[in-house]
Amino acid sequence: MSSSVVPQGGKAREGGWSGLLASAGKLAVMLAVPLIIVQALIVVQARPQDLITGIHGMADIIRRATPPDFSQIDSMFWPALETIDIAIFGTIAGVIMALPLAVLAAANVTPSRPLYYLARGVIGFTRAVPDLVWALFFVTAVGLGPFPGGLALAVHSIGMLGRLFAETIEHMDMAPIDALALTGARRLQIFTHGVVPTVLPSLLGISLYRLDENIRASLVLGFVGAGGIGFQLLTAMNLFQYRTVSLLLILTFVIVLSAERLSAALRTKLA
Amino acid sequence: MLEVHHLSLRYPSGTQALAGFDAVVRPGELVIVLGGNGSGKTTLLRCISRTLAPDTGEVRVNGTDLTRLTGEKLRRARLDLAVISQHAALVRRRSVLANVATGALGRHPTLWTALGGLPAAELAAAERYLGEVGLAHLARQRAGTLSGGQAQRVAIARALAQRPRVLLADEPVASLDPEAAEDIMRLLRRLAAEENLAVLCVLHQVELAYRYADRVVGIRAGRVAFDLPREEVSRDAVRRLYLSEAA
Repeated sequence: MSSSVVPQGGKAREGGWSGLLASAGKLAVMLAVPLIIVQALIVVQARPQDLITGIHGMADIIRRATPPDFSQIDSMFWPALETIDIAIFGTIAGVIMALPLAVLAAANVTPSRPLYYLARGVIGFTRAVPDLVWALFFVTAVGLGPFPGGLALAVHSIGMLGRLFAETIEHMDMAPIDALALTGARRLQIFTHGVVPTVLPSLLGISLYRLDENIRASLVLGFVGAGGIGFQLLTAMNLFQYRTVSLLLILTFVIVLSAERLSAALRTKLA
Repeated sequence: MLEVHHLSLRYPSGTQALAGFDAVVRPGELVIVLGGNGSGKTTLLRCISRTLAPDTGEVRVNGTDLTRLTGEKLRRARLDLAVISQHAALVRRRSVLANVATGALGRHPTLWTALGGLPAAELAAAERYLGEVGLAHLARQRAGTLSGGQAQRVAIARALAQRPRVLLADEPVASLDPEAAEDIMRLLRRLAAEENLAVLCVLHQVELAYRYADRVVGIRAGRVAFDLPREEVSRDAVRRLYLSEAA
């Protein structure tokens, strides 16, 4: 009897300590959250009163931006097409480069560990550097225009797509792959006849989602000289042509919404 | 012909999974292996198919010792040895016909097959094999839409497309209802005879072994407990296989 009392007492003490630690942890979190919020407000110099005093300025911009200058819609067709094509180029080039990297970076199909780590490194690096920085880099390298924008999206997409593709391959059902290996099929045959058909719908879905994201991103890339609607938007704002700005914002809204709907519809069909 | 001689394997944990296992399966013969959980049945099939390397012993398929082979030589030797398991392991988004034809990929190391193509002759042969397992009418259907019994039949057709000499079946009816299980066992029995295949099948269903096996091999603690024609296998001998597991 006595021997059972000691461990129970020990457990009770352990329970007491862990309970105390849990309570201390909760208290720390409760104190930390408001502190984090307050420091963020201080660092960003949040001044709500400025929003109230600035309401006149905003109203003035909205007044000057209306009605949108629809007479310029013809000349906006080309930048709009450029924006969409930057995204299409960036996505396709990204998919082409991400796919082999994803195969190397998927632990269950990679041919060797050094290649696995190398591929993971490339994917991590291209993802960590924002697309806007890649755009600045490529504008410097190949000059202004849509091409550096496409390249920037392609390289950044390698990181995003590579990671998601690799995760999809890693989570696929390996039973059909093992079964094919046992038939005496070669590595490449196993990949094209087993891995590809198994993961293809998921990869297409991810690529379509990326295209949708890239269309949004390509609008912003114009701000650093990478062509498209973004470049027109920056120019119009610099020249205080607010009615042109509002037209471009409407176009942006239509493009983004259409891409989003189309991508979602296609992904539903693939599922 | 499949010959297994003195096959032994000890896992890194120290468990002796196989301890000098011997068996021979002749062409046209269906041999069923019975044994309790942990008796070494699955390890035996994995050593024969060389997904595990045994510590000692030989696995001869038509005279070639697989235990001594690696790389390309092992891949080529595996062409004569087909494996079906509890789950059909089909590529769900491909057609039934394509799944069957992939069984023959190892015999066609061409650029066309490496790029995802299937030889026309193999597709025609796959139709025939599907006919043999009674599923020719489902050839164009997606594999993911099949029932468990149908999928297992397709897996058998895929194994036939490989044109093997030896067929290993690891609990092929474990996830099927009794009627589908009988169907699969009848099919294995018929294929062994008609295709002159040496079939080694691991089962848990003793009654199926009594009905369909030419010979029954009892395995206990990685050793052969008995190896007899099914008519000579006593209920007591089988019971002892499972009793020893409980003890």
